[in-house]
Amino acid sequence: MAATFFGEVVKAPCRAGTEDEEEEEEGRRETPEDREVRQQLARKREVRLLRRQTKTSLEVSLLEKYPCSKFIIAIGNNAVAFLSSFVMNSGVWEEVGCAKLWNEWCRTTDTTHLSSTEAFCVFYHLKSNPLVFGSCPRKNMQITILTCRHVTDYKTSESTGSLPSPFLRALKTQNFKDSACCPLLEQPNIVHDLPAAVLSYCQVWKIPAILYLCYTDVMKLDLITVEAFKPILSTRSLKGLVKNIPQSTEILKKLMTTNEIQSNIYT
Amino acid sequence: MASRYDRAITVFSPDGHLFQVEYAQEAVKKGSTAVGIRGTNIVVLGVEKKSVAKLQDERTVRKICALDDHVCMAFAGLTADARVVINRACVECQSHKLTVEDPVTVEYITRFIATLKQKYTQSNGRRPFGISALIVGFDDDGISRLYQTDPSGTYHAWKANAIGRSAKTVREFLEKNYTEDAIASDSEAIKLAIKALLEVVQSGGKNIELAIIRRNQPLKRKKYL
Repeated sequence: MAATFFGEVVKAPCRAGTEDEEEEEEGRRETPEDREVRQQLARKREVRLLRRQTKTSLEVSLLEKYPCSKFIIAIGNNAVAFLSSFVMNSGVWEEVGCAKLWNEWCRTTDTTHLSSTEAFCVFYHLKSNPLVFGSCPRKNMQITILTCRHVTDYKTSESTGSLPSPFLRALKTQNFKDSACCPLLEQPNIVHDLPAAVLSYCQVWKIPAILYLCYTDVMKLDLITVEAFKPILSTRSLKGLVKNIPQSTEILKKLMTTNEIQSNIYT
Repeated sequence: MASRYDRAITVFSPDGHLFQVEYAQEAVKKGSTAVGIRGTNIVVLGVEKKSVAKLQDERTVRKICALDDHVCMAFAGLTADARVVINRACVECQSHKLTVEDPVTVEYITRFIATLKQKYTQSNGRRPFGISALIVGFDDDGISRLYQTDPSGTYHAWKANAIGRSAKTVREFLEKNYTEDAIASDSEAIKLAIKALLEVVQSGGKNIELAIIRRNQPLKRKKYL
């Protein structure tokens, strides 16, 4: 360790290898209590799929009954607001089930009594056209993923002040033959977290999938960010699912006002 | 690269960035939008007020403040930083009046605020102010002025500008619609400010507050409910 001029402590790189190796191994010997705690944690962290607002689990065989042709997943509050006001208000969508999960970073401590509003993921299917996912990839299935990222994560040689934020970028798997409605994500930008996991899964299993990533400078629920997703409504994946655009804008405005969080730090 | 040069304000990165100042500009974008327009006989400041919590006294949530009888400013960013800057500016206005026996010019007080902000980008142990300000007023020569300052301590004169969330969208609207005709009369300038704000406000027209100063007249506030 070395202290720099400004008082920050920096670990100096050592070319002789780490000297602490032996000491670390001794400390890592597991006691039976450690094992017990670890098993309990593993049980708590299981992901559970439940049927509509009840505690019964969603049987996989039930899912297999509904072959899926279009699967749309929205991650992040702006993407979810876009889906719920533009897509889900046209036609009747029925809630099929939800996924509940827990890990150490969650704020709730009770895993068994999570209410339905605390589900992390809710699955809907269109009543007039009941197509929900199955557990194994089907032919002719197409997946659309919507998500947001802060514009400061966008690596570019231009200065961030000149970027027209919010803006859309797309990333698609090899089997996705249609064109995207916006430019593709340039190098060296990468996708993170759940959207990346879904896209990787689709690439490996040769499912046509496209990810639409909106770079914005307002990460909380914001009208302009949600409207940046609008070009997607004209693509083949979402065409036919959206009927009433002016009504959607009204619903979106209502969502904004009900979800405003009070914070006095920024005015 | 950013992570090793962005912890101390007094450290430049190898490619010449002061990351703390740039991060302070991100803090400004978290504040709600404010727009300023300079007309021939009028200056207008329009802000999007956040909706007040039920039990909160509305008078204490102020985004537009008078620095003197003939100068006022709107800010976007950290509320507490703004309070400190405004207090110092108000004191400076009165001190100037006592020393020089003349009210401050808009440019003088803007330069004072900008110098204050720049000082905080060059001392160790103090972070920059996380606010941008739009300062408007009339000078003794009767000419209207609009200035904008940012956390780095720079200031520029503008014909019309916006700060805060979605400022870029509002600025693009102003670039398209700010014409000599648009600001020819007082009411046209006010209309332009309101239209610019309506491009980005989340809740329609319900949370807009305007402040106008006409030549040789005191500040007037208008709320739209």
